[in-house]
Amino acid sequence: MVNTGNDDRLYITIWGWLLGLLIAGVLVFTLHLATIPLLVLIFTVAVIKAALVIRNYMHLKAEHVLIYAIAGIPVLLILGMALMLIPDIVFHR
Amino acid sequence: MSSTASVLTRNNPHNGKIQSVPIGKIAIWWFLASEMMVFGGLIASYVLLRIHNGGWAGQAAHVRWQLGTLNTAVLLTSSLTMALAVSASRQDKLRRTAVFLGLTVLLGVAFLCVKGVEYTGELREGFTPASGLFWSFYYGMTGLHALHVTGGVVANLTFLVMAVRGDLWTGKQRRLEYAGLYWHFVDVVWIFLFPLLYLS
Repeated sequence: MVNTGNDDRLYITIWGWLLGLLIAGVLVFTLHLATIPLLVLIFTVAVIKAALVIRNYMHLKAEHVLIYAIAGIPVLLILGMALMLIPDIVFHR
Repeated sequence: MSSTASVLTRNNPHNGKIQSVPIGKIAIWWFLASEMMVFGGLIASYVLLRIHNGGWAGQAAHVRWQLGTLNTAVLLTSSLTMALAVSASRQDKLRRTAVFLGLTVLLGVAFLCVKGVEYTGELREGFTPASGLFWSFYYGMTGLHALHVTGGVVANLTFLVMAVRGDLWTGKQRRLEYAGLYWHFVDVVWIFLFPLLYLS
């Protein structure tokens, strides 16, 4: 992968966004919103931060489809496991 | 067989139009996939049990979100310095690589120190892993994550020594890139642990 100085500027810009989103998430937490809106906002911010790191620092945006498959399968397995367990754990009191 | 050989290249003699993937990259992503299963399973279990138990807001109120926020900023910054170290290594800038690797190591150690301060305070207040399901998950997940940070610090320290000695440049830059992927993965795990344990 050829590298240029532009990559470094991009990394610093992404870092600025990550810190901004961190502050935004903490500010939302301190607003003492209702539980559901709070959780939705906080985890939306977390997903955006993770996507920024994975896409730009881990360079997934430029990866081969094979890497997407390797990284995607465990995510699907975890989501599948959680969905299958919801009836037994969440609704079984 | 060179370390940059491609699985696709080896398996398909007519692969002229196929983008190759280095074996090392496949290996590190495979490893990260197994790590996703470990942390993903823990996180999914935590979320499901927390919903089942009606939330653990009472217990979660005792963790110090200010220190968690500080640690998140530290780890995000260490991801930047790691990315800059890998970038410098690709440009064969030895000294710059060493400087950014050193900063990454220092930030990793700072993260562990802050976590140690947190643990000390929580244990002094009587919150141990046996204090309830929330605390079991808290110590289990953050402890496992801290072990991964420690492993990353050791790996980065090894590459730092190599960079200072000047022997990082004999086809070894890719190894630093793989160490970077691991470090960023550890950062991504924390990005999810932080709101789960500190903000909700």
